[in-house]
Amino acid sequence: MAAKWIETITGSLEQKKQYKQDKARMEALPEPYATAAKAVHRYLMYSGGITDGDTLTRMFTDLADLWERAATDGTPVRDIVGDNPVEFAEAFTEAYGGTQWIDKERARLNKAIENAEEGEQKGAPPPWRLTWPSACGD
Amino acid sequence: MSKQQMTEMLKGTLEGVVLATVAVQPAYGYEITARLREQGFADIVEGTVYALLIRIEQRGFVDVEKVPSEKGPPRKVYSLNAAGSEYLDEFWKTWSFLSQRIEQLHHHTETTNDKGQ
Repeated sequence: MAAKWIETITGSLEQKKQYKQDKARMEALPEPYATAAKAVHRYLMYSGGITDGDTLTRMFTDLADLWERAATDGTPVRDIVGDNPVEFAEAFTEAYGGTQWIDKERARLNKAIENAEEGEQKGAPPPWRLTWPSACGD
Repeated sequence: MSKQQMTEMLKGTLEGVVLATVAVQPAYGYEITARLREQGFADIVEGTVYALLIRIEQRGFVDVEKVPSEKGPPRKVYSLNAAGSEYLDEFWKTWSFLSQRIEQLHHHTETTNDKGQ
Protein backbone atom coordinates (compact mmCIF):
# COMPACT_ATOMS: atom_id res chain seq x y z
CA MET A 1 0.00 0.00 0.00
CA ALA A 2 2.71 2.43 1.03
CA ALA A 3 4.82 1.38 -1.94
CA LYS A 4 1.92 2.04 -4.25
CA TRP A 5 1.39 5.46 -2.78
CA ILE A 6 5.02 6.33 -3.27
CA GLU A 7 4.97 5.06 -6.83
CA THR A 8 2.14 7.37 -7.78
CA ILE A 9 4.54 10.18 -6.98
CA THR A 10 7.83 8.77 -8.27
CA GLY A 11 6.66 6.52 -11.08
CA SER A 12 7.11 2.77 -11.04
CA LEU A 13 10.23 1.72 -9.17
CA GLU A 14 10.38 -1.50 -11.17
CA GLN A 15 10.45 0.50 -14.39
CA LYS A 16 13.14 2.76 -13.08
CA LYS A 17 15.29 -0.21 -12.13
CA GLN A 18 14.84 -1.75 -15.57
CA TYR A 19 15.63 1.55 -17.26
CA LYS A 20 18.84 1.97 -15.30
CA GLN A 21 19.84 -1.59 -16.06
CA ASP A 22 19.30 -1.13 -19.80
CA LYS A 23 21.17 2.17 -19.79
CA ALA A 24 24.10 0.46 -18.06
CA ARG A 25 24.04 -2.36 -20.62
CA MET A 26 24.36 0.18 -23.44
CA GLU A 27 27.16 2.04 -21.69
CA ALA A 28 29.05 -1.19 -21.17
CA LEU A 29 29.10 -2.05 -24.87
CA PRO A 30 32.41 -2.02 -26.73
CA GLU A 31 32.99 0.81 -29.18
CA PRO A 32 31.64 1.80 -31.63
CA TYR A 33 28.44 0.18 -30.38
CA ALA A 34 28.23 2.14 -27.11
CA THR A 35 28.39 5.46 -28.97
CA ALA A 36 25.81 4.35 -31.52
CA ALA A 37 23.46 2.91 -28.91
CA LYS A 38 23.67 6.00 -26.70
CA ALA A 39 23.04 8.28 -29.67
CA VAL A 40 19.90 6.36 -30.69
CA HIS A 41 18.78 6.25 -27.05
CA ARG A 42 19.16 10.01 -26.77
CA TYR A 43 17.21 10.60 -29.96
CA LEU A 44 14.37 8.35 -28.80
CA MET A 45 14.16 10.24 -25.53
CA TYR A 46 13.75 13.53 -27.38
CA SER A 47 11.72 12.58 -30.38
CA GLY A 48 9.74 9.50 -29.46
CA GLY A 49 7.08 11.40 -27.64
CA ILE A 50 6.05 8.20 -25.92
CA THR A 51 4.73 9.01 -22.51
CA ASP A 52 3.75 5.72 -20.92
CA GLY A 53 6.43 4.15 -18.82
CA ASP A 54 5.70 0.55 -19.77
CA THR A 55 6.26 1.17 -23.47
CA LEU A 56 9.36 3.29 -22.85
CA THR A 57 10.88 0.62 -20.64
CA ARG A 58 10.19 -2.13 -23.16
CA MET A 59 11.59 0.02 -25.96
CA PHE A 60 14.89 0.59 -24.17
CA THR A 61 15.25 -3.07 -23.24
CA ASP A 62 14.79 -4.00 -26.90
CA LEU A 63 17.27 -1.33 -27.91
CA ALA A 64 19.86 -2.71 -25.51
CA ASP A 65 19.18 -6.24 -26.88
CA LEU A 66 19.65 -5.04 -30.44
CA TRP A 67 23.02 -3.41 -29.77
CA GLU A 68 24.31 -6.20 -27.57
CA ARG A 69 23.46 -8.63 -30.34
CA ALA A 70 25.19 -6.42 -32.91
CA ALA A 71 28.30 -6.15 -30.73
CA THR A 72 28.40 -9.91 -30.20
CA ASP A 73 27.98 -10.67 -33.91
CA GLY A 74 30.30 -7.84 -34.95
CA THR A 75 27.64 -6.42 -37.28
CA PRO A 76 28.80 -3.08 -38.71
CA VAL A 77 26.95 -0.11 -37.21
CA ARG A 78 25.69 0.95 -40.66
CA ASP A 79 24.17 -2.47 -41.18
CA ILE A 80 22.03 -1.81 -38.13
CA VAL A 81 20.87 1.75 -38.68
CA GLY A 82 21.18 2.03 -42.48
CA ASP A 83 21.83 5.17 -44.51
CA ASN A 84 19.35 7.20 -42.54
CA PRO A 85 19.69 6.83 -38.75
CA VAL A 86 16.79 9.24 -38.15
CA GLU A 87 14.46 7.12 -40.23
CA PHE A 88 15.61 4.04 -38.36
CA ALA A 89 14.99 5.68 -34.98
CA GLU A 90 11.54 6.79 -36.06
CA ALA A 91 10.54 3.40 -37.44
CA PHE A 92 11.78 1.92 -34.18
CA THR A 93 9.50 4.15 -32.05
CA GLU A 94 6.54 3.70 -34.35
CA ALA A 95 6.75 -0.04 -33.86
CA TYR A 96 5.57 0.36 -30.27
CA GLY A 97 2.46 2.39 -30.91
CA GLY A 98 2.51 3.46 -27.25
CA THR A 99 0.82 6.52 -25.85
CA GLN A 100 2.38 9.65 -27.28
CA TRP A 101 1.99 13.24 -26.13
CA ILE A 102 0.63 14.05 -29.61
CA ASP A 103 -2.28 11.60 -29.13
CA LYS A 104 -4.30 14.23 -27.28
CA GLU A 105 -3.92 16.66 -30.15
CA ARG A 106 -4.77 13.94 -32.67
CA ALA A 107 -8.01 13.20 -30.83
CA ARG A 108 -8.75 16.92 -30.65
CA LEU A 109 -8.30 17.37 -34.40
CA ASN A 110 -10.54 14.39 -35.18
CA LYS A 111 -13.21 15.70 -32.84
CA ALA A 112 -13.06 19.21 -34.27
CA ILE A 113 -13.50 17.92 -37.82
CA GLU A 114 -16.39 15.74 -36.70
CA ASN A 115 -18.06 18.76 -35.12
CA ALA A 116 -17.49 20.80 -38.23
CA GLU A 117 -18.99 18.04 -40.34
CA GLU A 118 -22.08 17.90 -38.13
CA GLY A 119 -22.68 21.61 -38.65
CA GLU A 120 -22.34 21.03 -42.38
CA GLN A 121 -25.02 18.34 -42.45
CA LYS A 122 -27.49 20.07 -40.19
CA GLY A 123 -27.64 23.68 -41.17
CA ALA A 124 -27.88 25.68 -44.33
CA PRO A 125 -24.64 26.35 -46.19
CA PRO A 126 -22.48 28.76 -44.25
CA PRO A 127 -23.18 32.41 -45.08
CA TRP A 128 -19.83 33.01 -46.76
CA ARG A 129 -20.75 30.54 -49.44
CA LEU A 130 -23.73 32.68 -50.40
CA THR A 131 -22.05 36.02 -50.21
CA TRP A 132 -18.56 35.23 -51.39
CA PRO A 133 -19.17 35.06 -55.15
CA SER A 134 -21.12 38.30 -55.25
CA ALA A 135 -18.59 39.98 -53.02
CA CYS A 136 -16.00 39.08 -55.64
CA GLY A 137 -18.09 40.56 -58.36
CA ASP A 138 -19.10 37.47 -60.31
CA MET B 1 16.40 2.99 -60.30
CA SER B 2 16.21 5.52 -57.48
CA LYS B 3 17.19 4.26 -54.06
CA GLN B 4 15.08 6.89 -52.35
CA GLN B 5 12.00 5.84 -54.31
CA MET B 6 12.67 2.21 -53.52
CA THR B 7 12.83 2.96 -49.80
CA GLU B 8 9.62 4.95 -49.91
CA MET B 9 7.72 2.27 -51.81
CA LEU B 10 9.03 -0.56 -49.70
CA LYS B 11 7.92 1.12 -46.50
CA GLY B 12 4.31 0.07 -46.77
CA THR B 13 5.05 -3.46 -47.85
CA LEU B 14 7.94 -4.47 -45.59
CA GLU B 15 5.68 -5.73 -42.84
CA GLY B 16 4.12 -8.22 -45.24
CA VAL B 17 7.52 -9.04 -46.70
CA VAL B 18 8.90 -9.90 -43.27
CA LEU B 19 5.83 -11.97 -42.39
CA ALA B 20 6.15 -13.84 -45.67
CA THR B 21 9.78 -14.62 -44.83
CA VAL B 22 8.90 -15.88 -41.37
CA ALA B 23 6.06 -17.95 -42.86
CA VAL B 24 8.58 -20.03 -44.81
CA GLN B 25 10.47 -20.97 -41.68
CA PRO B 26 10.78 -19.57 -38.14
CA ALA B 27 13.86 -17.41 -37.85
CA TYR B 28 15.63 -14.77 -35.77
CA GLY B 29 16.28 -11.19 -36.86
CA TYR B 30 19.69 -11.68 -38.40
CA GLU B 31 18.54 -14.69 -40.43
CA ILE B 32 15.52 -12.81 -41.72
CA THR B 33 17.68 -9.88 -42.84
CA ALA B 34 20.12 -12.26 -44.53
CA ARG B 35 17.31 -14.11 -46.32
CA LEU B 36 15.78 -10.88 -47.57
CA ARG B 37 19.15 -9.74 -48.89
CA GLU B 38 19.52 -13.03 -50.72
CA GLN B 39 16.10 -12.43 -52.26
CA GLY B 40 17.35 -9.17 -53.74
CA PHE B 41 16.29 -6.69 -51.05
CA ALA B 42 19.90 -5.57 -51.00
CA ASP B 43 19.55 -2.36 -49.00
CA ILE B 44 17.61 -3.75 -46.08
CA VAL B 45 19.36 -3.25 -42.76
CA GLU B 46 19.04 -5.23 -39.59
CA GLY B 47 17.68 -2.37 -37.52
CA THR B 48 14.72 -1.90 -39.86
CA VAL B 49 13.89 -5.59 -39.74
CA TYR B 50 14.26 -5.55 -35.96
CA ALA B 51 11.80 -2.65 -35.65
CA LEU B 52 9.35 -4.46 -37.92
CA LEU B 53 9.66 -7.64 -35.91
CA ILE B 54 8.85 -5.71 -32.77
CA ARG B 55 5.82 -4.25 -34.46
CA ILE B 56 4.45 -7.54 -35.73
CA GLU B 57 5.09 -9.02 -32.31
CA GLN B 58 3.10 -6.18 -30.70
CA ARG B 59 0.29 -6.75 -33.17
CA GLY B 60 0.20 -10.43 -32.26
CA PHE B 61 1.12 -11.86 -35.69
CA VAL B 62 4.08 -13.92 -34.53
CA ASP B 63 5.00 -16.17 -31.65
CA VAL B 64 8.35 -15.51 -30.06
CA GLU B 65 10.66 -18.02 -28.48
CA LYS B 66 13.80 -16.96 -26.67
CA VAL B 67 16.63 -19.29 -27.53
CA PRO B 68 19.85 -19.03 -25.51
CA SER B 69 22.92 -18.32 -27.62
CA GLU B 70 26.56 -19.12 -26.92
CA LYS B 71 27.47 -15.47 -26.72
CA GLY B 72 25.38 -12.41 -26.02
CA PRO B 73 21.70 -12.10 -25.14
CA PRO B 74 19.26 -14.88 -26.08
CA ARG B 75 18.03 -14.81 -29.66
CA LYS B 76 14.35 -14.24 -30.30
CA VAL B 77 13.03 -16.74 -32.81
CA TYR B 78 9.89 -15.61 -34.59
CA SER B 79 7.27 -17.90 -36.09
CA LEU B 80 4.02 -17.04 -37.84
CA ASN B 81 0.84 -17.78 -35.85
CA ALA B 82 -2.80 -18.04 -36.94
CA ALA B 83 -3.47 -14.30 -36.72
CA GLY B 84 -0.30 -13.64 -38.70
CA SER B 85 -1.19 -16.03 -41.44
CA GLU B 86 -4.63 -14.44 -41.74
CA TYR B 87 -2.98 -11.05 -42.01
CA LEU B 88 -0.56 -12.38 -44.61
CA ASP B 89 -3.44 -13.68 -46.77
CA GLU B 90 -4.99 -10.25 -46.60
CA PHE B 91 -1.63 -8.68 -47.49
CA TRP B 92 -1.30 -10.77 -50.66
CA LYS B 93 -4.85 -9.91 -51.71
CA THR B 94 -4.18 -6.21 -51.22
CA TRP B 95 -0.86 -6.49 -53.00
CA SER B 96 -2.41 -8.24 -56.03
CA PHE B 97 -5.09 -5.61 -56.26
CA LEU B 98 -2.65 -2.72 -55.95
CA SER B 99 -0.07 -4.10 -58.36
CA GLN B 100 -2.79 -4.83 -60.93
CA ARG B 101 -4.14 -1.28 -60.67
CA ILE B 102 -0.71 0.27 -61.00
CA GLU B 103 0.27 -1.99 -63.89
CA GLN B 104 -2.96 -1.08 -65.63
CA LEU B 105 -2.25 2.60 -65.13
CA HIS B 106 1.24 2.09 -66.48
CA HIS B 107 -0.09 0.27 -69.52
CA HIS B 108 -2.81 2.86 -70.03
CA THR B 109 -0.46 5.86 -69.92
CA GLU B 110 1.99 4.14 -72.25
CA THR B 111 -0.60 3.32 -74.89
CA THR B 112 -2.04 6.84 -74.65
CA ASN B 113 1.43 8.32 -75.12
CA ASP B 114 2.03 6.05 -78.11
CA LYS B 115 -1.17 7.18 -79.76
CA GLY B 116 -0.28 10.80 -79.12
CA GLN B 117 3.04 10.54 -80.91
